[in-house]
Amino acid sequence: MRTGHFKESYASLVALNDSHVVWAWTAVLLAGLLALPLFAGNYPLSLASAALIAVVGAVGLNLLTGTTGLISIGQSGFLAIGAYTNGLLLADYDWPLWATMPAAGILSALISLLVGIPSLRLKGLYLAITTLAFAFIVTHIILYAEDITHGPNGVFLPKVTAFGFDLSRDRPFFYFTLAFTILAILLALNLSRTRIGRAWMAIRDHDIAARVMGIDLVRYKLLAFMISSFIVGIAGALMSLQIRFVNTDVFGLILSIEALAMIILGGLGSIAGAVLGAVFLSLLPEVIRLAFETFGDPSSTTYTTYVYEIRGIAYGVVIVAFLRFKPEGLIGLWRDAKRYWTNWPLAY
Amino acid sequence: MEFFVLLVATGLVSGAAYGMIAMGFALIYKATGVVNFAQGELVMLTAYIAFSIATSFELSFFPLLLVTIPIAMVIGLLLERIFIRPMLGEPVFAIVMVTIGLAVIIRGVTIMIWGPDPFEFPGLPTTVIYLGSLPFYPAQLYALGALAVLVLAAWAFLNRSRVGIAMRAVAANEKAALLMGIGVPRIHALAWSLSSAIAAVAGILFAANFKLGPDLWFQGLKSFPAVILGGLDSVIGAAIGGLVIGVIENMAQGYLGQGLREIAGFVVIVLVLMIRPYGLFGEREIERV
Repeated sequence: MRTGHFKESYASLVALNDSHVVWAWTAVLLAGLLALPLFAGNYPLSLASAALIAVVGAVGLNLLTGTTGLISIGQSGFLAIGAYTNGLLLADYDWPLWATMPAAGILSALISLLVGIPSLRLKGLYLAITTLAFAFIVTHIILYAEDITHGPNGVFLPKVTAFGFDLSRDRPFFYFTLAFTILAILLALNLSRTRIGRAWMAIRDHDIAARVMGIDLVRYKLLAFMISSFIVGIAGALMSLQIRFVNTDVFGLILSIEALAMIILGGLGSIAGAVLGAVFLSLLPEVIRLAFETFGDPSSTTYTTYVYEIRGIAYGVVIVAFLRFKPEGLIGLWRDAKRYWTNWPLAY
Repeated sequence: MEFFVLLVATGLVSGAAYGMIAMGFALIYKATGVVNFAQGELVMLTAYIAFSIATSFELSFFPLLLVTIPIAMVIGLLLERIFIRPMLGEPVFAIVMVTIGLAVIIRGVTIMIWGPDPFEFPGLPTTVIYLGSLPFYPAQLYALGALAVLVLAAWAFLNRSRVGIAMRAVAANEKAALLMGIGVPRIHALAWSLSSAIAAVAGILFAANFKLGPDLWFQGLKSFPAVILGGLDSVIGAAIGGLVIGVIENMAQGYLGQGLREIAGFVVIVLVLMIRPYGLFGEREIERV
């Protein structure tokens, strides 16, 4: 049992993973995920895929908001760009999947420069409102550029195959998303170990001090926007593959709030936190549904009438409660549990 | 030319609603340094409460205002006490996120109580009044009048009353204000209750002008351009910003194309922030290291 963090060299500070125990548990988790389709039915599998997509999106947003400290309420805009790029290229232009997925990421990354450049002069709340404005502008442009995007009619995705497997079926799609989730997590973990990641953290902690230390704010802030939006764009593309019908209603403000809630709930700035938060929040509606159904008929009809409202209230309550009682999020709970385990019977 | 004047006039009317909501944003930002993302939801909630009062007691417009404003102030106080006060001393971002959470909660609760269908708001005459050649509904003129009254009241409050000056002191420097014996938490609570009073006026007038529906909260977001244009910390600037944004939106709709109204304001704020990152009337923050 480890009783603390014993770092003896600089190399161990930036190691991807600092102990064999963690490696072992990661392997167990991965094996579990790989084996999941063998015994889970279609519905749980599609839920799991949705949770994995949420993880990709949350990891992307976490790089921008958690690591670099640039608050973004524009997540839904980038998800929409990713989903529409992927959907339109597949449906209207017959591009192959291996080209549309990167295209979705790259286009979101390029468009993110449009928000990124004004954001260089903005801070905190002004930036948050600008990103919000961006998300609105994106969905409205999509609605009005009917010739390209089909406007309010939305885009139906054709059946897509990857490596000979039909992605409209739950099992292959689960493996497909799992692969992207692992890639996104690895990318984020490795980025935070590099020069770029440390520069981002310095900017988050104090941007003027970071500039004094020779960090090029313009470059690193834009880089944060681009890499984060690239990952979020991929998440949007995955979303479009799962729901198979993309329209602007999917990408409302609540999606941006959900995304922010995920990283706050998980623990801002921590990748494991983003993963935990995303899984927790994307499974929360399911838990609520089950809770309402156990109370029998009247409560389950209330649920079906007010699905969106109840989900919204639950998100709100969860956000408020965590910020109030556990600002470090789920990852903080986990750390506390670990500390309690090693230090018991002492408090600290 | 007539088309132009008509666009300006109707723009000013919808701008009056933006202006009032924006004043609520600015008031809370000025006193507490927090952008209250739940302002639009407060507008919606108070409008629905006013609707219930109006239909069950058959009150006409002015008595309705007199009854609703105190209720709104109590709601503001309660929200501040339950949700915001415990967050005192936490980072601003955390408090803003709490208001976002609060916004989602209020929205859900309101729709669950009053249902998703829109209502006609009762109690105001609908005879058209002509000013020159321009037709107005009484509710539209009331909205403009209410904005004027609120601006005057806000100016008098912030510049002439002791409490208002204390509020400006808190805005300028919270620690110094505390040292001078100002009860900062009290000022915060006051800002919340005043801003929900303004929200009630805005909500009633908006609902009387259009319809009372569950998408009323969206007016809160649509007022962001007004607050940004005026500068987050300028209450009177926010009111002017509202009028300007209303006119700009109508112009965009009238001359550039259908549907541009929805995003014209947001495009304007992105442009404004690129040139003056602290708004047109906002105070420039200078950081020294």
